[in-house]
Amino acid sequence: MLEAIQLSKNYGAHEALIDLNLQVHQGEVFCLLGANGAGKTTTINLFMNFIQPDSGLIKVNDVALHAQPRTAQAHLAYIPENLNLYGNLTGIENLQFFTGLNGNKPDHAFAASLLESVGLQTAAFNKRVAQYSKGMRQKVGIAIAKAKKADNLLLDEPTSGLDPQASNEFSNLLNHMRENGTAILMTTHDLFRAMEVGTHIGIMKAGKLVHVLESTEITLSELEHLYLETMKPQLHVAHSH
Amino acid sequence: MLRIVIKKEFLTAVRDIRLQISGAVILVLMLTAVLVGKQGQKKIQQQRANAQAEMQEKWLSQGNKHPHSAAHFGQFAFKPKPVLSFLDIGLDNFTGISVFLEAHKQNEVLFSAAQDSNGMSRFGEMTAALVLQFLLPLLIIFLTFNIFSKEREEGTLKLIHAQGLSMRQLFFGKVLGTFLMVLFLFVPVIVLAYCLLDQDSAALDTHLTSKFLWMASSYASYFLILVLLCVLVSAFARSSGLSLLVLLGMWISSCVILPKAAANMADKLYPAPSQFDFRNNIKEQVKNGLDGHNPSDVRLNELKQKVLKEYGVETIEELPINWSGIAMQAGEEYTDQVYDAEFAKIEKIFTKQNNTTEWLGFINPYLAIRNLSMALAGTNFYHHTNFARAAESHRRKFVKTMNKDMEVNHKPAIAYSDYKVGEEMWSSTAEFEYDLPSTSSILSRQWRSITALGLWMLVLLALSTIYSNKIPTI
Repeated sequence: MLEAIQLSKNYGAHEALIDLNLQVHQGEVFCLLGANGAGKTTTINLFMNFIQPDSGLIKVNDVALHAQPRTAQAHLAYIPENLNLYGNLTGIENLQFFTGLNGNKPDHAFAASLLESVGLQTAAFNKRVAQYSKGMRQKVGIAIAKAKKADNLLLDEPTSGLDPQASNEFSNLLNHMRENGTAILMTTHDLFRAMEVGTHIGIMKAGKLVHVLESTEITLSELEHLYLETMKPQLHVAHSH
Repeated sequence: MLRIVIKKEFLTAVRDIRLQISGAVILVLMLTAVLVGKQGQKKIQQQRANAQAEMQEKWLSQGNKHPHSAAHFGQFAFKPKPVLSFLDIGLDNFTGISVFLEAHKQNEVLFSAAQDSNGMSRFGEMTAALVLQFLLPLLIIFLTFNIFSKEREEGTLKLIHAQGLSMRQLFFGKVLGTFLMVLFLFVPVIVLAYCLLDQDSAALDTHLTSKFLWMASSYASYFLILVLLCVLVSAFARSSGLSLLVLLGMWISSCVILPKAAANMADKLYPAPSQFDFRNNIKEQVKNGLDGHNPSDVRLNELKQKVLKEYGVETIEELPINWSGIAMQAGEEYTDQVYDAEFAKIEKIFTKQNNTTEWLGFINPYLAIRNLSMALAGTNFYHHTNFARAAESHRRKFVKTMNKDMEVNHKPAIAYSDYKVGEEMWSSTAEFEYDLPSTSSILSRQWRSITALGLWMLVLLALSTIYSNKIPTI
């Protein structure tokens, strides 16, 4: 389970995240929506311990991240927005490298089966990743996350730049992981994809989580309307005395 | 986990086309420098050995003559070309190769290669040392300038961090992977260099293998220092561009600007007299005495009175021995004192200048490896003075032998032109032989450079251990 309690982060005078509270249970996909700079990526970065919060608490499977980072991180897998793997290594070699870092030693056959399970074409396994499309790289990313066997997955705009077919395949993979009990926190700009894979949807604005909805409670057009309303700039009326 | 990172760093470097090309260029340059240098060293050593043998032959076959004429006939001492000089030419091109040994005068070692070269020789020869000290660091910079910053820019650092690897483990994995890549280029060349050692020249130096191993391990340490330094810069640089700028700035400062500045600084701190002043001073002191108040005629008269008193006679004609032989040896010994004093002064100045650059190795590892490499190759100033001292010692021995024979055997009644000795006399003087300094004597004189390299390594390892876990992920 992923949990943020009163989580805040400032970059100098800029408040990037203000008192964030959220929970993602096993088998749930929480999609964070919001404009650029709303605090989505900051949330992911805080969960991944890439940056330190100014206040608040993060728990992963009830383990406080900053108190026991190693234990907490063992339960986390991550796929960034632009998954730039090592272009000079093949898909198999990239998978073996990243999974090797957390103590696993997948042999060639096991690595190949992992890549196959995420839908990467067999012909691409031994090609250098420099020749991969973004969709293919994201599949390797999913394979890396799967190989870690972590029960929590964080994704930072994973479908941006993917063609519809690749996005669809990606959604299927996420649904499959969710069904297997993985708690997934995902940031995205794609409302359609959020409705398709998310069990919960949060809308962020200026560092605050302003709406939390269950995807079954709302239609895509209602979500779109709510999102656009939320994103409208607030009107500040100047009062003269 | 460290092994996985090392393997990945090595693989990505080996498969990078830019590094393949630059690595191949460095490899070809090193191989060329080693092969050409080895051929050159062998040829030069053969020439010098032949010249020494020819000189000895001429000495023995000079015919019958007065021993003092033979002392003026003189001998040449040729500096052997140390076998490892093919890896590092050091000061060899500037320090002269032979010295003419004769009565009354301590000549300088002359005929340096630089004297016979054109202006291009000022830029230095393409030697393995030049490639290893100057160009291989550039390759290390290109291997490492973006080793962290690129991963940060492309987001792979986040993915690595997410896998649970600590930044310290990643840092040392990258350091070792890059070092392995450098060794991949360095080791085959150095092993080939050892296999190619000229066996005839190798026989001149009984400490050759230990010197070679010290040299190879010194270079390996130098490369590890550079790799640590470069990876540290890349780890904390905000961008790859900034990292490259900083590292190239460091390379230019340490390999180009600082060595020149160090030489100028040493020269300003310890100025050496001009050759004209040096020679003039010696001439003056021989004439007027070391203290300037003991002219040669007074010294000669004092010696004459002492000898006459010793033999209880009134005139030199009454002496049972040859007065000229005694006077000449006394003159030799006095001149030796003057030369010793003056050469000691100038040697002290040069030693202080060299020590200054050795001390500067503490702020610039390039200077430390340059000094240590030259010393182990047998091409530094210490080797030059060591040879000059051995040649001078030989000169004094053979001139003394000639003077002694003259003193004892050339009776006063016999005219100069009538007293002659021959081959038996010439062969009684030992042939000039020179042993290169031992490894321990070289290392003990290079303690500053060795300590500087050791300190650089320790400080960088300490900094890496302390700060590597603070490397920013984003």
